[in-house]
Amino acid sequence: MSISVKNYTSRYIAVVILIVMAIWALLFYAFMMDEVYDNIDDGLKNQKIEIIRAVYSDSTLLETKDFGINQFRITPSVEKNVPVKDVFSREFIFMPYDGEDEPYRVLRTSFNTADGTPYSLEIRTSTVEEDDYLINLAISLTVLYIVIVLSILMVNYYVLSKAWKPFTRILHNLNEYRFGEVTSFIPVVTNVKEFEVLNANIESMIARNEKAFDNQKVFLENASHELQTPLAITINKLELVLSDESLSEEQMIKIADAKKSLLRMVNLNKSLLLLSRIDNDQYNSVGQVNGNTLLLDIINELKEIIEFKGLSIDVNIQGEFTVNMNTNLASILFSNLIRNAIKYNMDEGKIMVDISVNEIRISNTSNSGALNPDYIFERFYKGKQDNQSNGLGLSIVSSILNKYPFLTLQYLYVDDLHTFSIKK
Amino acid sequence: MKILLIEDEIELIASIKEFLEKENFLIETAMSFDAALEKVLTYDYDCILLDIMLPGGTGLELLQRLKEEGKKQSILILSAKDSVEDKVAGLELGADDYLAKPFHFSELLARIKSIIRRGKQGGEQVITYKNATLNPENREVRINNQIVTLNRKEFDIFYYFILRPTKLLEKTTIAETVWGDNADQADNLDFIYSQVKNLRKKLKEAKADFDIQAVYGVGYKLI
Repeated sequence: MSISVKNYTSRYIAVVILIVMAIWALLFYAFMMDEVYDNIDDGLKNQKIEIIRAVYSDSTLLETKDFGINQFRITPSVEKNVPVKDVFSREFIFMPYDGEDEPYRVLRTSFNTADGTPYSLEIRTSTVEEDDYLINLAISLTVLYIVIVLSILMVNYYVLSKAWKPFTRILHNLNEYRFGEVTSFIPVVTNVKEFEVLNANIESMIARNEKAFDNQKVFLENASHELQTPLAITINKLELVLSDESLSEEQMIKIADAKKSLLRMVNLNKSLLLLSRIDNDQYNSVGQVNGNTLLLDIINELKEIIEFKGLSIDVNIQGEFTVNMNTNLASILFSNLIRNAIKYNMDEGKIMVDISVNEIRISNTSNSGALNPDYIFERFYKGKQDNQSNGLGLSIVSSILNKYPFLTLQYLYVDDLHTFSIKK
Repeated sequence: MKILLIEDEIELIASIKEFLEKENFLIETAMSFDAALEKVLTYDYDCILLDIMLPGGTGLELLQRLKEEGKKQSILILSAKDSVEDKVAGLELGADDYLAKPFHFSELLARIKSIIRRGKQGGEQVITYKNATLNPENREVRINNQIVTLNRKEFDIFYYFILRPTKLLEKTTIAETVWGDNADQADNLDFIYSQVKNLRKKLKEAKADFDIQAVYGVGYKLI
């Protein structure tokens, strides 16, 4: 699954900040505690010196056997000549104020009075509640973490949305771009350098592709074109040979067959030429076409062959279908569809033409099942029953309709009828 | 009948010339724009066959010059380009008809004859063969002066036959002329067969002095 570039960095930022803050929190905690104990211990050492001094001048203090308000006690040392050494420890001692055991810092040391009697001295003082401190630190750090991450996300979202706006617009425009229409890609005005470069690169890429495509089209047209003359010469020479009375039947049939194949090539060539001309926008003039009269003319033109094939044709007019398009292309379009309906029909078959204001439907009966609408408009696609067609008739139809985006062509197979529907 | 063929493909000139000479036309040729212009402006022809692409200029320019000089000639454009614009431009510049290459000779002949007929003021409009006449203007066929009712395609087919009696008319040519593109389909040839059959029946019923004969499997001829 892909995620937006806006969220892409956020993931890493969140993780990195978490790690950085955790390390920072550990260091901070360690330094803070170190400093706190250092201060407390210094205080305790200072107190020790003052207590010992006080004991020297006032021996009654030696009787301080219990921790009282002075927070120290002096007990006679059991061992003699204990080394004068300070021992710090952390102990839990009941504190009436809190009603529970609280951490205390305790300094244990020993000293000798002036007469050399050893005493041990314990001084205590209340110290930080490390667990509370840790919890407070954790809570405040969590809040800080959430606030930081949220603000980064928000800033990221808004700033990046704004910064990437030209990019999304470029994406949108690219989506709108249709091959063959150079003007359909609109570059986005931006002052972000990268997007400017992107714009320029897309434009030059499109220009290159379109140019290659145009060259291809022109090449196709020229190639088809150049074939016409040699074909004309060959066909006419064969015709001259055919008019020779002295030819045997066998020779004549062979020559006629050769000519027939050449005529097929001529038709193929003409269809290719027509396709490339449609694609090259050589049918630009537009006029109002009356689909009704055009279709009736075409049907009338093909009346004899429809009769000959034993087909019945049923024209159902519910409205007048008028459209603004090239008149030549319109007649090629409808003529191809009607011819197909005749060609791929069955014995005693039917052709139905339904004309309404917004739709023309041409349906025909057939022996073959539904056609695959994914392929039938492809160039050189041939159905099963078809060995004579060049496979270009329907591609010409779809090329023509591609030029007029307000017309849609649909193939339907309903009730054993092949139907081509052209809708406005 | 004098025809000027303006064309730069030698092989095509040879074929067209051979065919039209057999049809008893006098053929002159011009292979470049300048040569063509000189002949067109100097002499009168019954019909001029004009290619669009010529060394030294285009057929359309030639038509333009003719128009400027105010000289009226009957012109049939022969073009490999088969483009709608050329056709429209050519007809607007005063050409009489437009035929795309490649073409069938019988089609070429039909077009030439039709142009020559139209060019003649008050001339004989009907085509006669033995006891039959065909009038292309009102599409009327008479045998022994009796009208024979033919359907549209039968008329078209008969027209091609009567233009070149005793000559072979191929099935593919008939199919293409009466059916247009995609003429090489097998069922269209069957269609032609049935149309010719009907035509023969009607000619026989009208007691025509001639008949349509099948020439092997290739085509037919009017005898």
